[in-house]
Amino acid sequence: MALRLASRKFGSKFLSMLTATSSLHSHATSFGFKEVREEDKSQLVGNVFTNVASNYDLMNDLMSGGLHRLWKERLVSKLNPFPGMKHLDVAGGTGDVAFRILETVNSVKRRAIQDPSNDNLHEERNPLKGLGETKSLIWAEGDAEALDFPDNSMDGYTIAFGIRNVTHIEKALVEAHRVLKRGGRFLCLELSHVDVPLLKQVYDYYSFSIIPAVGELVAGDRESYQYLVESIRRFPPQDKFALMIADAGFQKVEYENLVAGVVAIHSGLKL
Amino acid sequence: MYRTVAKQLLRGARSRVSGTDVRLRFPNPHSTISRRTFSPSPTPHNSGEIPIPRVYVDLPNSSESTASPSSSSSAGSSSTASSAEEGRRHTRERPRGEYQDEQARVLQSALRHVLTLGWTEDAMMAGARDVGVSPSIVGSFPRKDAALVEYFMDDCLEKLIDRIDSGLEFSNLSPSGRISKLIRIRLELQAPYISKWPQALSIQAHPLNFPTSFKQRAALIDEIWHASGDDGHDIDWYVKRTVLGGIYSTTEIYMLTDSSPEFRDTWAFLDDRVRDAFDLKKTIQEVLSLQHIWQKLLVLEWGTRFKDLSRKFFNGEAYWGHLS
Repeated sequence: MALRLASRKFGSKFLSMLTATSSLHSHATSFGFKEVREEDKSQLVGNVFTNVASNYDLMNDLMSGGLHRLWKERLVSKLNPFPGMKHLDVAGGTGDVAFRILETVNSVKRRAIQDPSNDNLHEERNPLKGLGETKSLIWAEGDAEALDFPDNSMDGYTIAFGIRNVTHIEKALVEAHRVLKRGGRFLCLELSHVDVPLLKQVYDYYSFSIIPAVGELVAGDRESYQYLVESIRRFPPQDKFALMIADAGFQKVEYENLVAGVVAIHSGLKL
Repeated sequence: MYRTVAKQLLRGARSRVSGTDVRLRFPNPHSTISRRTFSPSPTPHNSGEIPIPRVYVDLPNSSESTASPSSSSSAGSSSTASSAEEGRRHTRERPRGEYQDEQARVLQSALRHVLTLGWTEDAMMAGARDVGVSPSIVGSFPRKDAALVEYFMDDCLEKLIDRIDSGLEFSNLSPSGRISKLIRIRLELQAPYISKWPQALSIQAHPLNFPTSFKQRAALIDEIWHASGDDGHDIDWYVKRTVLGGIYSTTEIYMLTDSSPEFRDTWAFLDDRVRDAFDLKKTIQEVLSLQHIWQKLLVLEWGTRFKDLSRKFFNGEAYWGHLS
């Protein structure tokens, strides 16, 4: 175990040395606090998620103290789903958000203004396996930067805790803009930056000391969770990310901080 | 330039958990009035060539204080209304975000569904579908049902202002008659929706929505006072507004249960209330003038007594002065 960790550390150091020399020639991006080649990021991210997949839900609960459920509820209520809606949930993982949307839509069917013959929910997943139940929920595998869906086809687009793992965030945003209909909304739930002075220190300590330790204990994988907390810090702060969303063509770009910035929900409107 | 536009957009973009007071939300009544009086057509009135999202920088104070270059400053109460209107029109010249236009269009078409669906999100979604926009846009309104009601209130106020500007037969009416007429015009605007108006009132009374609805009503009352040309200095500004607000609200509620043809009973009720208020005003005036009389009497009485006293006091001196 120790040997494995050591060899990984050595490997990553080697990789960063490599990129230091070759940075003039290829595009580099961030993988946590490490700089990696763009081509490698998706592979590395894939590895991380393959490692964390089996304990994903449990780790989410442990890391957020169960709060992640509330955050997702807030995301779905902001979305304001309606019967007959075509919605795309990207990086859906185990489908939390998608299922919540489905539940919300089903519970408001009694005041539907038309009879939906088929609630269509499309889901895009990372390399995780899942089961589709009825025709309401469709699982699809793909790439956030090159979505498989036609232009102007979706009423809503959500991405929960997924966008920081994308290599080119701008491309994913542009794709989101393309796929949405006029009037469609983009919603992004993501871990973000805390600026409140005291809370910031507590949060940093929690992130860098406690989470990797818990990761090691529960999932046996310190590295992946180290990557996780580092990628949060590397992700642009709320305002900058909002600018990026506006750059992609969205209007009425706003964000809402939850838990003083630990999590932020960004929203945009396509017109 | 695009960056600064987006930065301005985001400077106001911070919203708290409760979602209150975001600059980019559905704008406050004054700015809304200024926006929509401009053109009946829903197209954005700036050149549509620039594909970037434009920013509506909300500066409510400036709209009132902007001096309009073209307003004719002739005497009379009508100019106050029209220069305020001009000041409002000036704000319309500002570039505003396209999404607000789109939202306004959605709300306008949603009004057509209110009679069947009520002041609800369903009506708004139906409106969105009519305009050719995804119903998801309804999610971008911060207080959804209230947004529709508030839009309607602003719309009615604009229509009232337009009616006033296009000339009303006022000169032969007394102040009480003018106020009656104005309130009647305003209430007739919401008569088509009277079956669903109780729902609208309950939405407006909701704690979250009350501040905005209060502001809208205050603006309405203000407008009616200006237009009626009543500038008596005897009763306080606030008292005037409160009394008129009371008359308006009670008439509005009376109208809800009025089944007479063309709301005849409501207008009779309205005339009675306005007359009562003016009678009250006269009564107060009389009391105050009586007060002046009393004050004068007292001054006279004590003034005379003081004169007598001082004569007694100074008589001695005059006597002595006379001797020396």
